[in-house]
Amino acid sequence: MIYISIVIGCIIGALIGMNAPIIPYTYSIYLSIAIIAALDTVFGGIASVINKNFDLKIFLSGFFGNAILSMLLTYLGEKLNVDIYLAAIFVFVWRMFNNLGIIRRYYIEKWTNQFQAKWNEKK
Amino acid sequence: MKEKIILSISIGCAALILTMVMFTQFKTIEYTDIVALETMREAELRAELASWKSKYEEAETKMGDTKQKITEYQTQISSEQNATELLRQELIESQKTLGYTDVQGEGIMITLENGEEKVDRFDLISLINELRLAGAEAISVNDERVVFKTDIALPTSEIFLINSKRISGPYTIKAIGEMKYLESAITIKNGYLDQRKTERKKSQLRNSNQYHHS
Repeated sequence: MIYISIVIGCIIGALIGMNAPIIPYTYSIYLSIAIIAALDTVFGGIASVINKNFDLKIFLSGFFGNAILSMLLTYLGEKLNVDIYLAAIFVFVWRMFNNLGIIRRYYIEKWTNQFQAKWNEKK
Repeated sequence: MKEKIILSISIGCAALILTMVMFTQFKTIEYTDIVALETMREAELRAELASWKSKYEEAETKMGDTKQKITEYQTQISSEQNATELLRQELIESQKTLGYTDVQGEGIMITLENGEEKVDRFDLISLINELRLAGAEAISVNDERVVFKTDIALPTSEIFLINSKRISGPYTIKAIGEMKYLESAITIKNGYLDQRKTERKKSQLRNSNQYHHS
């Protein structure tokens, strides 16, 4: 059920996004930083599912909160003439790789165990 | 079960928003994929923008200067037009005085004829002087315009020369000017006509609104 809702959401979102009006180039930096923040939260969510401590409230608050906060930081950086968004991207991508590492380790462990079990069965 | 529905709906919503924003961004980047914009670094773009801005300001100040100059010239032109208008009027006056232009208007006509005494050139000269004093703008004798260089000579006893042209009596003197003044100057008591009467010469005065001197 969760997977179905994710797929439907992705398809509808893609359709809306393709028909949406173009955003001015100056503001596209805000959108991109928001996307990075949201992606980080998504990977974090997957990692927490694997660790079995997933919480919907934390996920949603992280999803929207991080996006809005990073946009605000970018705006502030533009006002201060400092590229704060670079720091935000750095932190988000770093966390993303961490979470990806957790996910990767989990699945590799799982598959190796399955493979090992099959191997043992054959023997 | 209820919790699962809420969970799936909220995660679906999150996925929807994420993909929507992502695709919008893809599209935006694709449409603004201008080579110059991409290859230029932001600092370069800023410098370019600043230079264009300064150029624009320069052009604007130049335009202001030019506009001011134009208004100056225009005021000058209008003042020059006033001057030319004055000059033109002066020229017309001068031409009238010199007899280069035709003059038309109200005036008087006097006819001199030999009576018991003959009309002599002094009669003509004094009449012309009287008329000039009375403010005549243009005078003619037998349609011969009297101007500043007109000569009135008497080579024989019968024939006058006016403008070196022969004329003979009766002499018709036309004068254009303020009719009232001209008439009163001639008909005043002991004036020109009275004197001619005492000298027994025939003279006649006529007024008209339309005399034409060429």
